[in-house]
Amino acid sequence: MKTRNDCREWRELLGAYALGHLEGDERAGLEAHLDGCANCREELASLQPVALMLPHADPARFGPAPQPPPELGQRVAATIAAERERSETRQRRRLFGGFALGGATVAAVAAVLLLFVFGGGDGSSGPEQQVRFADLPPGITIDATLQPHSYGTEIHMYVHGVPSGTLCRVWLRGAGGASYPAGTFRYRWGDDSDAVLSSALDLSRTRAVVVDTGKRTFVAPVDGPVADLNIHNEEEPT
Amino acid sequence: MIQLGNSTRGALSRERDVREAYAAHSGELYGFAVRSLGDAGLAEEAVQETFVRAWRAGDRFDPKIGSLRTWLFAILRNVVIDLGRARSVRPRVAEGGVEPSVEPLDEALTAWQVEEAMRRIGEDHRRVIVETYYRGRPYAEVAAELGVPEGTVKSRVYYGLRALRVVLEEMGYED
Repeated sequence: MKTRNDCREWRELLGAYALGHLEGDERAGLEAHLDGCANCREELASLQPVALMLPHADPARFGPAPQPPPELGQRVAATIAAERERSETRQRRRLFGGFALGGATVAAVAAVLLLFVFGGGDGSSGPEQQVRFADLPPGITIDATLQPHSYGTEIHMYVHGVPSGTLCRVWLRGAGGASYPAGTFRYRWGDDSDAVLSSALDLSRTRAVVVDTGKRTFVAPVDGPVADLNIHNEEEPT
Repeated sequence: MIQLGNSTRGALSRERDVREAYAAHSGELYGFAVRSLGDAGLAEEAVQETFVRAWRAGDRFDPKIGSLRTWLFAILRNVVIDLGRARSVRPRVAEGGVEPSVEPLDEALTAWQVEEAMRRIGEDHRRVIVETYYRGRPYAEVAAELGVPEGTVKSRVYYGLRALRVVLEEMGYED
């Protein structure tokens, strides 16, 4: 039996005690020691939060952790570089006053406008496609630029006129009707930069861009190189 | 925590700083994203979105308030919540999609931290905690299997919990 002064030996029982595994004389002896040893009480107090966390973990997951694919870092860097570039381009456009459309102007646009711009040298794998959402409520502008990549589609979303702080969720709708998540962003007043998102769906298989602003959902078709004059904007129940 | 240049504010506003932050923290962020979303593709999307948001808000990061790791995890937490909501409202589940985790996110974060800490402590310590706590085996039985005295199993449990505490503190966990 340990003596009351044999602090180290008592302390080495604190782990089993914190887990509720000590019984009988050993438990009683340790509790007697704790009554008279502030250091061991302090040590026990530092172990108890750890003991309380253990039930949350799944021992089947103690093996090697999954690692991100090597190309993910490159994608992150490319996305940020592209966003910065787009932001600078948009600022230049606004400086020269040619691109920004007011809500009234947009409301008057009665067709979805598809523009093909042949991009170059930025890692893209084909022509980018610009999609504008028509028939929007007055004051709201939404447009998207889709860029094909080997990993899927990069989406540059521009939203203007919804309440500041609005969470916008974006999907691409495929040829089979399934929707593929492309990410989320928040619209902030005074920030006219594009949100850069991505989806694994190939641009060639993309048939629509879906934007949900919380209260309303807007859909613009992406039908390929021929401009689609049908209006497809729709509002889904909330 | 990694040091990012000499500035004390806006330390993530340069693309080079994002690359350094990615190199230091993407593994952990990805691990938690996989744990909470249950899907490698969605986890990649979550990590990418986390670093893009961090870059956009880089001017607001202040290392005096908290570590970069903690800040990135706070962003990832919001991204995972947004992805979960998006998944719950989207019209159809994409091919290869999985059901969202039913585990509350904060609980998932705690679980992931313990699991990550368990991976980082020594094998001897991890083993006795697994055998005695998770498998509920008697100490005497574990001691016989390992060929050590029962007292050694108990002391390993103690030093294992201490090691977990140290690792969790290094990871930024605050109880």
